Amino acid sequence: MADSPSFRRHPLASSVDLVRWLPSSSTSPSGRLLAAAVHDPTSAPADSSIHLLPLSDPGSPLASLPLPSRATALRCSPAALAAATSSGSLHFLPSSFDSDAAVSVPGGAGFHVGPVRGLDCGGEEWVTAGEDGRVHVVGGAADGRVVARRVWDGKGMSGYEAARWASPVEFATGGAGCGVQWWDRRKGDAVVAQYNGIWGRGIVTGMVHSIDIHPSRKHICVVGGSSGTIFAWDLRWPQQPIPLSGVGLNGTAEPVCESEVWEVLFDTYTQSSDIISSASARILPVMMCSEDGILAVVEQDERPLELLAEACAINSFDIDPQNPSDVVCALEWESIGVLTRGRDAMAEE
Amino acid sequence: MPGMPTDGGGAIVPFTGEPGQGAPPVRPIRHGVAPPIFRTYVSWSSGNLLQVACLRPPNSEGGGGTVEVVGSVVEVNLGDGGSGGSEAEEKIDEAEMRRIEYGSVPAFALLQSRKNSLADAATMSHVPSVPDHEEWWQYVLEYSKTIGNLLGNPDPPVFMIEDPMTILKFREKPTSLRAAWELLEIFYVDKHLQGWLPERLVDWLADFDSLLSTMVSTVYSKLSNFQKKLINLQIVEDDPDYWNGLSAALSVGWLDIVVNMLRFHGSYQLDQMDNRETENGLVEAVAVLVSTMPRLRPNLPTGKLGQCCKTRPDFIKAWEKWRGQVTKLECSAFWIQCGHQKTRDGLKNLLHIMMGNVNKLTDATSHWLELFASHFLYIKPFTVGFEGMHHLAQKCIQLKPSSGTNGLTGLILGVLSENTEVVLAECTKNFGPWLVTHAMELLTADNDYADVMLHEERPNLGGISIEELHRLVYAQVLCSHSLTWQIAPTYLSSCLNQGLGLLEILLLKQPIQDNCLVLKTLEICRLYELENVSTIIMKIAGIYHWKHGRKGTGVYWFQQAHDKVCLDRIAQQLFEHIGKSVTDDSFKQWEGLLELLGSDIGSAGGLEFLHRYRDFKKSLQQALDRRCGARQTVDFLIQLMKNPSTPQRFWLPLLHDSVELLNSKLSPLMNVAETTLLLNKLQELSMAKLRPDFSSNHLPSHAISSVRLALASNLARAILGDP
Repeated sequence: MADSPSFRRHPLASSVDLVRWLPSSSTSPSGRLLAAAVHDPTSAPADSSIHLLPLSDPGSPLASLPLPSRATALRCSPAALAAATSSGSLHFLPSSFDSDAAVSVPGGAGFHVGPVRGLDCGGEEWVTAGEDGRVHVVGGAADGRVVARRVWDGKGMSGYEAARWASPVEFATGGAGCGVQWWDRRKGDAVVAQYNGIWGRGIVTGMVHSIDIHPSRKHICVVGGSSGTIFAWDLRWPQQPIPLSGVGLNGTAEPVCESEVWEVLFDTYTQSSDIISSASARILPVMMCSEDGILAVVEQDERPLELLAEACAINSFDIDPQNPSDVVCALEWESIGVLTRGRDAMAEE
Repeated sequence: MPGMPTDGGGAIVPFTGEPGQGAPPVRPIRHGVAPPIFRTYVSWSSGNLLQVACLRPPNSEGGGGTVEVVGSVVEVNLGDGGSGGSEAEEKIDEAEMRRIEYGSVPAFALLQSRKNSLADAATMSHVPSVPDHEEWWQYVLEYSKTIGNLLGNPDPPVFMIEDPMTILKFREKPTSLRAAWELLEIFYVDKHLQGWLPERLVDWLADFDSLLSTMVSTVYSKLSNFQKKLINLQIVEDDPDYWNGLSAALSVGWLDIVVNMLRFHGSYQLDQMDNRETENGLVEAVAVLVSTMPRLRPNLPTGKLGQCCKTRPDFIKAWEKWRGQVTKLECSAFWIQCGHQKTRDGLKNLLHIMMGNVNKLTDATSHWLELFASHFLYIKPFTVGFEGMHHLAQKCIQLKPSSGTNGLTGLILGVLSENTEVVLAECTKNFGPWLVTHAMELLTADNDYADVMLHEERPNLGGISIEELHRLVYAQVLCSHSLTWQIAPTYLSSCLNQGLGLLEILLLKQPIQDNCLVLKTLEICRLYELENVSTIIMKIAGIYHWKHGRKGTGVYWFQQAHDKVCLDRIAQQLFEHIGKSVTDDSFKQWEGLLELLGSDIGSAGGLEFLHRYRDFKKSLQQALDRRCGARQTVDFLIQLMKNPSTPQRFWLPLLHDSVELLNSKLSPLMNVAETTLLLNKLQELSMAKLRPDFSSNHLPSHAISSVRLALASNLARAILGDP
């Protein structure tokens, strides 16, 4: 089980639920940084926190932010790192990583009740979508506090698992059984388009776990969810989704995995095999991670490119926006993995 | 009495049952329940959490009006600070142990699948079920190496600037777990190196000598004590510990350390070179002899000294030559010219050790295992066979009775006595279920007796084999921790008799509060094809979410479980809801749920009606606002009234809602047949009204007559309009 030269595992001694690259600044003395949401059920009471880890030595955190419960979503923007929890709270850590300066929105009747799995930053504002069916837009007030405004209260009739901004006025959500929704804030904060999704194995509905929208093609969502399903949903043809992977879906290549697809992200590093892709209608390459331990790049009408096949689940991954060849992933067995792609990796060894 | 609340602080006293174990640990619990406490329940929660429920008597004098806590459930963590004992320095911490547990899963699973495919191939070809030994042995060796690597790497880091005065090289602290694993690998698996077994034991001792005893001194402890002393020593050769350390290190074959230490000798110092020339020559001669000692082994790791002889004749030739040189030096005339008494005695002692003097070896070593190793090196280099080794071990124990035994020496004795039961018992006692479960494969690799003994199904174990028993025990350990339960199925699935039953119990016990965790559990169900278990889990999850107000998620899980019964019951509940607020047009909040139900009505059970009802209401609203044609609304109405799944109690509200629309048009909206259908339904309803089980709704009493009037006028117009 020797690691390939470009992949390294770092044990963390507690369960790692989510992991993200932090935007690196040239002034940072410790080099590139990672943020990881860790959960340790062995201590009493169970301890959850966000750790800031240097890439050079991920075993020893530089700073940490305690959370009231297990983290369910983690995103970062240039200004802050935000984490949502299973008890419905939202926490912001400013980019100075001073945990005294952290602000939070407590969970409860006024915000979310239960896990908040959809979280994304759209420039000034953050969107949150919870399993309780509520959608909030959270922004900063003048006095440094954060203010949450309720966009929608589904009263539990539908539960959301993912949220992603497309533009400052539009975002997409997805959830259990309800497929994908497109929200437009200019039209009274309402759902303007909706699609139930295509799911394999003859089931009618599935659960959406992750949505990504490419900044240059804001009308296309790529969605990952149950039964190894990944599809792209183009707002211009909302009833004709493009299957990228899935079990038993007609017209697709073999499925890259058969279990839950936990996260999807457009992979800016992999060059599309279609040279004139920027002009064509093809969906750009998408990276995914799954419960059965697969990290792969899938492309429309192409064989998937498997990057990792781990023995345990890959719960989360992130592509470094500044160095897209580097990928970090959170492994079920209490460790994080750092994958370096391309020639640089070979030269290093 | 044990297990009962005491009168004092309400503490629970666990009962250990064994006298002489010291006081049992007492944990005070803050349960906040005022005495008297009537009943206490204790049950295991996940991991090492204990749930303690304390209840007051049901009808104790309630103190009129003051709300009192009648009971509470407290979780007690038995893990923190419970043991409190400082057992051994090299103890592996929990996180490290979990890392080992995770890492060993793929190796174990691979070996099991290879075993199964070899067995399948054997049955297919009708060859007697002896697997290809050579091949199998390679697989086990690969498995053993993979797991050995997980337990830590004894090689020192490559880039290290070493102080020339360092005797013992810095390296990762060895663990007994690794020592035990290597020992089993040496004796049971590595057949290629069987001929060099004595030398392998010597190597093993070099790696793990520090673990042998913490009470009695060992070669390792002698050397590390001398190392501490070395900084303050002016003239090393005057110190008896220097010579003791040298002879100890030489006796167990740590030749590189001996040569390095000999170079500390004062005669090497430049200012003394001239007047201690002979002495220095003798020291150097001994150092050369030490570094050229012949060793019966194929190769040596870098940094280790000696000359390797792969075959026995080569070795005998080299050995006789070398022994001759040692004897020659011993009889040399130069000793008389050596003025330093301690150097002379010390060096002579080293020579005697090299010549295999039993008394000198016994003096130089401390632990019986060290003496055992020194016999291999200097007296019986050709010792082979477990019987001879066991005999020698017994002799060494008699010579060094004080050394006692710990887990490792017990294991060695068990191995040498060729008693698999003892080996297994020692492993269980000292190294825990992880080692036993994984080492089982090593024991049976090439040992037919062990194979039969471990795989035989025993009635006194409930029909399972010893191997299965240990796997089940290990799986239980894994299940008890919320981070490792996910790897337990690998082991349970390898237990043919009771594994699957326990796996089902394990899966059904997992928490269902979190959707992601449920999905992880379901994934395991999918891998092991436990569809019935996954259906049950989905239903439990559905009920949980429904009860906690997340109706959409609840319905999702029921749909996944294809649970028609629950979906129908949910539909009934929703009808109640809608029945009350039927005039209220706030359908918006239902929108999400109805979307969830999807267009494929079949899977929604009784909820199908809701979907159509929503369409009707929407269309009615639009028709009244004159945004679309009334005809579409009427179509929806007719569909609803025709459909058998529409509950009867909705008939009147539906018709009543449409009255306004029917009356607003001058031209007829429905043809004769449609109007007649609706009138018939209305008639049926009027009849049903007389039955006692009729559920009335909150409509005005004149509702029926107004509907009837509207329908009648529509009928009249339709008849007139009919050509």
